[in-house]
Amino acid sequence: MASDRARRRLFLTGIVGTLLIITVYVTGGVVAGAKSVAHAVVYPFSWAADFVARPVGHVFAGIANYSDVEAQNQKLRYLLGQATQRENDNAVAAQQLRRLTQALHVPIAASLGTVVAQVTVISPTNFSATVTIDKGQNDGVMNGMPVVADGGLAGRIVATTPNSATVRLISDTGSVVGATFGTGATPVLISGEGLNNPLNVSSIPDTASLQVGNLMSTNGLQGGLFPPGIAVGRVTKLLINPGSSSYAVSLAPTANLNALAYVDVVLWEPST
Amino acid sequence: MSQARGLITLATLMIVGVQLAVFTQWRFAGAVVMLVWLWPVAVGLTGLTSLALFAGLLAGVLFDAQSATPFGLSALVGLAMAYFASRLGKEGVGDLDSAAFWVTPALAAVGGMLAPLLFVVSGVFALNFSLWRGSLVDSMLVNAVAFMILARPVTRFAFTLSSSAMKARR
Repeated sequence: MASDRARRRLFLTGIVGTLLIITVYVTGGVVAGAKSVAHAVVYPFSWAADFVARPVGHVFAGIANYSDVEAQNQKLRYLLGQATQRENDNAVAAQQLRRLTQALHVPIAASLGTVVAQVTVISPTNFSATVTIDKGQNDGVMNGMPVVADGGLAGRIVATTPNSATVRLISDTGSVVGATFGTGATPVLISGEGLNNPLNVSSIPDTASLQVGNLMSTNGLQGGLFPPGIAVGRVTKLLINPGSSSYAVSLAPTANLNALAYVDVVLWEPST
Repeated sequence: MSQARGLITLATLMIVGVQLAVFTQWRFAGAVVMLVWLWPVAVGLTGLTSLALFAGLLAGVLFDAQSATPFGLSALVGLAMAYFASRLGKEGVGDLDSAAFWVTPALAAVGGMLAPLLFVVSGVFALNFSLWRGSLVDSMLVNAVAFMILARPVTRFAFTLSSSAMKARR
């Protein structure tokens, strides 16, 4: 039996070892290889657990949510009809936009190619808002590419493997997006506040023309992380604090980040 | 000890698999229940410090590999949970058969409350000062309740594993 001192030594060795791993990670050392090995080791077990748990979960969810699902299905059919009609209406406008952007050499998001991907893992932890998708390097997905869903910006690729990629959502506390609104004269920074919280917008002077419901989109400034013109969110709250000359703005993401099933990876890389 | 370690390794892989496939999908008040932190507490309560530390480290590292948070942070929390639980386990606190029925769930609830806090504080080592801006309070409350509910079955599983491994060694 190990003595108290030996146990304490073992514990401290573990702590020092872990701190070393964290240091290597922070300094950008060789952690990616270790991560992919650990990923490969765990995958069969998570697949097996999923294989067993998913049908059981579906049975319970089916019993509990049948009427909701039916109502949702009807609503989705209606929305699909509307979207199809809008798509027809927009076809001509899109063609014109493409011609204009080609003439101006501006990489508007609508004119860029995309890769459709399915979300396989939703943020496994409480402290990062990320999702894993089923497309990776083999499909042309690279680090830094923007990801859109439901007509709005969802996030950007932060890690890739040959067949999967990790997307840091715009609601992640480490995410910052350069954006603008209205005429595009006022650049703002939109930062994440966690998966379930509204987005935070850097202070906007009260002289700017801004209203609740206004849409903010990526500004695409030179050297920016996103191409211009991708919707990020809508203003939900607009306050001017007493004595302040700027708005405090709350923004709801355009994309439904809590229910991502399929996303589009925009084939655009930020300029370095 | 190697057979015990083999069993714990297999069980830990299963726990991480269940964490990723099941608990990650079920969010309560937007928070994820961290089974990978309850597991080292459960193994720790058996009083086997080295096994508990091994389980905490392995579960943490494997989980960190799937997450976008700094690599090694969950392992650090797992180690701390394992060590303190094993100190209590050594004293017989939390023994499922001899202690009062509420002791293990109460200890686990405290662990569930402290683990997310420890994770956020440890973020400083990774120069990540924004972890607290997420759902820390929700996460602490949800994990405290979930750990309390899951404590007895998970600890019973850990006790069964460790005792069968010890029997095989004899």
